Amino acid sequence: MAYIRKRNRRIFLIFLLPAILILFLTTIYPMLYAGYLSFRSYDLAKPFVPRVFVGWSNYQNVLTTGDFLHALKITFQLMAITLSIQLFIGVGLALLVTQRLPGMGIARTLLLIPMMISPVIVGLVWLFLYFPELGYLNYFLSFLGLGPVSWITSPDWALWAIAIADIWQWTPFIMMGTAAALTSLSPEPYEAARIDGNTRWQVFRYVTLPQLKPVLVSLLFLRAIDAFKIYDIIFVLTKGGPGDSTEVLSLYIYRQSFTFWQMGVGAAASFVSLIIIVVLITFFFKSLNRDPMQS
Amino acid sequence: MSAITLRNVIKRYGAVEVVHGIDLDVEEGEFVVLLGPSGCGKTTTLRMVAGLEDVSDGDLSIGGARVNEVAPKDRGVAMVFQNYALYPHMTVRQNMEFSLKPLSLPADEVARRVDEVASTLGLAELLSRRPAQLSGGQRQRVAMGRAMVRTPDVFLFDEPLSNLDAKLRTQVRLEIAKLHNRLGTTVLYVTHDQVEAMTLADKIVIMRDGHIEQVGTPEQVYSQPNNTFVATFIGSPPMNMIPARVRQGRLEADGLLLSVPDRFKGVLAEDQAVTIGIRPNGLSLAKDVDHNTAPARVEVTEYLGNEALLDLRAGPHELIAEVPALGRPAPGAEVTVHFDPDALHLFDTASGDSLSL
Repeated sequence: MAYIRKRNRRIFLIFLLPAILILFLTTIYPMLYAGYLSFRSYDLAKPFVPRVFVGWSNYQNVLTTGDFLHALKITFQLMAITLSIQLFIGVGLALLVTQRLPGMGIARTLLLIPMMISPVIVGLVWLFLYFPELGYLNYFLSFLGLGPVSWITSPDWALWAIAIADIWQWTPFIMMGTAAALTSLSPEPYEAARIDGNTRWQVFRYVTLPQLKPVLVSLLFLRAIDAFKIYDIIFVLTKGGPGDSTEVLSLYIYRQSFTFWQMGVGAAASFVSLIIIVVLITFFFKSLNRDPMQS
Repeated sequence: MSAITLRNVIKRYGAVEVVHGIDLDVEEGEFVVLLGPSGCGKTTTLRMVAGLEDVSDGDLSIGGARVNEVAPKDRGVAMVFQNYALYPHMTVRQNMEFSLKPLSLPADEVARRVDEVASTLGLAELLSRRPAQLSGGQRQRVAMGRAMVRTPDVFLFDEPLSNLDAKLRTQVRLEIAKLHNRLGTTVLYVTHDQVEAMTLADKIVIMRDGHIEQVGTPEQVYSQPNNTFVATFIGSPPMNMIPARVRQGRLEADGLLLSVPDRFKGVLAEDQAVTIGIRPNGLSLAKDVDHNTAPARVEVTEYLGNEALLDLRAGPHELIAEVPALGRPAPGAEVTVHFDPDALHLFDTASGDSLSL
């Protein structure tokens, strides 16, 4: 017995080893190295200059110059816009595609397509749509007597332009998860409500929504993590501009590291944002998930 | 309280007809049970009355008014579902309140009704619990309570006891019977369990393949079955069925020879193919051989306490007899079985219809 257990443990370790190795090489080591860098001065343009220990000065730099806080604000603005609209439209679409209507199976598949496209391609597609003079969007708006809108060249519109592209890409994710949850709800309570004469709104508000809540919270959680590190679409569409009007955290970190070549500052900013996201998301979802019946 | 009338009611799903033009009258305050095997259309019929399924053809009336096109909520019915259909995230109180929401009653009236029903059903202690924290029987009571708070004209029950264990089933069955006695509301109740049907019903409607086979009181369907289906469906163990022919005023069945009871003499033709039906308690063990006995061998005995069931073989026929447990024969014993002529049923083999007048 003891022998078998010992052997099993060895097999267990052998099977786990590749995963541990990859995790270490791609995540843990870079993270530790970034931690090391965040306390050093490291100019990428001068790779042979020794990386001197500078204490907390990189962190001081991040937290006292306004750029980081500005990027943080833009990130949360973008998250608030995209998550709320994605939730709203996603749940609406889910309610629609779970109806027993002709063509809903096809509609469901078609609606998933944006999600399957690489974000860089999504950025490029929308870049063409937003193009000030030649873009389709302004072309169609002109029929309505509107525009032209300087989608990506005006600081007022750029964030919305990014939000629209992100909403277009990720609403299907909310829809898919919600639709799956909707189809798993047992039909009898709905029939009971129908006989009792509850209105559609009452049924949705008091029967469907509370039962969907755990799923919606999980979906939002996944989307929030994803939205916090949004990069590709913005990089293609605006590169953080015009000015710094769409510079989210990931772009700020990129700029510090690879434009200003301040690797130490970039690493420090990464760590600060990691802490922020962990704390905020934990706090936000704990409060959202608290059972109102028990409080 | 309302009467329910079905006139030539048909249900089709696309080209498939599942309920074939049934006629049924449920009197005001009556407890009517739709009974039949799975797939016989009983639940579909109930759901048509509820308004959850459209009536494809025919007329459905509740309280004298045709309701084919009336929305479920406006039919004055309340339904209790097999799976209880409780809202899992609501407490017992909220579950009951939610069904009152459409009535827009004042809050104190809602509370009064919920409390009254809860105390009637013994749910007062459970009002703040969620369905997941209740036992099956308690959930079933909540489902009934939710139907009762609305004080409907008609209660519809869809196999309400089939998810409960045997002991609880008996208990809740009794509660349903008491409730009906007290409230006097019209009830339409679907089940495949004949014990439920026999104990609860004022009137049983036996259905098969979308047709009504017989409508009658429990006594009627038990003692005067219309056909072989009803005869074998009602009663446990089922009625013994023996194929036979009429020969010279007697019933001849492959080694079995019985005299024809007087009441059948006028209706039988020589050489007619008939099916002899006799319930297990119509068979007994006899000492002497006469015109109504046959030799048989005991294959298995099943002891039930007061009675015992004997699995008998008489020639090619397998029979079940219910005899007093005391002094029952041992397996393998050769016995003489007596067929009580008063308990004998005869059916036309071709049509399956009863030959009793």
